[in-house]
Amino acid sequence: MAGFVEKLLNIDRRWLFLLVFAGVAVPIIMPMGLPVTTTGSTRSAFEFIDGLKPGDAVLISFDYGPSSAPENDPMAEGIMRQCFTKRIRVVICALYPLGGLQLANNSLAKVTAEFPHLKYGEDYVNLGFKDGAQAVMKRMGDDIVGAFPVDVRGTPLAQIPMMKEVRSLHQISVVVTIATGIIGEWWITQAHPQSGTPIIVGPTAVGAPKYYAYLNAGQLVGMLSGMKGAAEYEKLLAARYPDLGRFYRTTRAFTATKGMDAQTVIHFVIILFILIGNAAYMSHRAALRKAAAR
Amino acid sequence: MTHFPDLGTWIAALLTLFALSFLYKDNPLFRFTESLFAGVSLGYFLGTTLNQTLVPNLIKPLTHEFGQNWDLLVPGLLGVLLYMRYLPKGGWIARYALAIYVAYYIGLDFTRRLHGEVLPQLARAIVPLSTFNAHTFFVSLVFAVGVFSVLIYFFFSKEQDRVTRRVARVGIYFLMVSFGAAFGFTVMGRVALLIGRLNFLILDWIYPLLGVR
Repeated sequence: MAGFVEKLLNIDRRWLFLLVFAGVAVPIIMPMGLPVTTTGSTRSAFEFIDGLKPGDAVLISFDYGPSSAPENDPMAEGIMRQCFTKRIRVVICALYPLGGLQLANNSLAKVTAEFPHLKYGEDYVNLGFKDGAQAVMKRMGDDIVGAFPVDVRGTPLAQIPMMKEVRSLHQISVVVTIATGIIGEWWITQAHPQSGTPIIVGPTAVGAPKYYAYLNAGQLVGMLSGMKGAAEYEKLLAARYPDLGRFYRTTRAFTATKGMDAQTVIHFVIILFILIGNAAYMSHRAALRKAAAR
Repeated sequence: MTHFPDLGTWIAALLTLFALSFLYKDNPLFRFTESLFAGVSLGYFLGTTLNQTLVPNLIKPLTHEFGQNWDLLVPGLLGVLLYMRYLPKGGWIARYALAIYVAYYIGLDFTRRLHGEVLPQLARAIVPLSTFNAHTFFVSLVFAVGVFSVLIYFFFSKEQDRVTRRVARVGIYFLMVSFGAAFGFTVMGRVALLIGRLNFLILDWIYPLLGVR
């Protein structure tokens, strides 16, 4: 027994990497369709957007980069699908310097291809990227054109029909910041007090705990926490809109719901590691004490 | 019809494998990928900032409608002044631009902190007694004990006595629960990244390579 415990404590950690690899790869190859339960913060975000009227404007800010795309992409795309299904106008911008714009372009192209009847400039617009997020938000509170004189294609905003009615954050019904790092916090602590525009945040799981303080203080109308939050949103979308339900059931593309299978398996594996590691450590310590007592 | 992976997919897949190879041990392929990533990121950032910020917000307004936008010369000049620090005797000039830059963000951040963090969080910490019921009483009690005990733990201006040490101990438990929650979320976040990469390797690279539909 003592020899086995000793072996466990000195196991090459690369074996653990291999187990984690297998724990993630197997559910991707053989999806299990494990159930996802929804939480209050995701439901309130969903219901808020669902309560908007056709023609209202939602700003989706891509404040993340490729490093957190598996968590954040499904959030942004889910919210876009909901808005487009309800004919809510969508304004896209990117304030994260390392890839935010590229991800915004990719997600927008992917989702608008599913809604071919929508027209650029009337139903949605892509403002592109702007550096200096805090200063940009400050300016958008008064005048969006001041911050974004042209859209991502170089068209002056004055020539874009939907932007004639959306002149500042005051005409935006809700800002959705899909965020990694601090930019999401700036929307809450700077743009919201300045313009009063409600905020929904979709942080990475790593960043989620700090946003609970803002959620509890009523500074957010909802939150999607990491991949789990995105999977919850997909579930709510599928339940409310039959077309989106069919889409999420049949798509071959990556969705957060599919990712949650691997999350569940890998969490089980990690909990098992923690239990085995602690049991081996305590057993080893008890053996040492016994030896010292002799 | 099967789609053989294109060149971009091959490059992305191989670079992913090179990056993950560090888990086995450090090697030249990993270091190549790391350096390439740093270089590409910097190039991307410079290109995007130039095309999306400097050109539409500074260069085009100045070159197309100078009469209406001449005031943009001031921030443009301040930006140029920042680079004076690279001149052997011009370092002091950069400080003026830096001082204005810092002053702007202090002003912006001061109101942001006050109206966006301090006041709303304080308001949330003071619960009106008129709306009390069993549930809010319990939640508010846990909340109040947590805030108070953690504040005592971080109060270093006076040496802790027997009573405050015990209160601080309660604060440590609250902190531990908070760290535990943060750790759990961090694990979930990191695993999500691995899921994203393996999803790409399996579905976008290996499956098409093997002709799996």
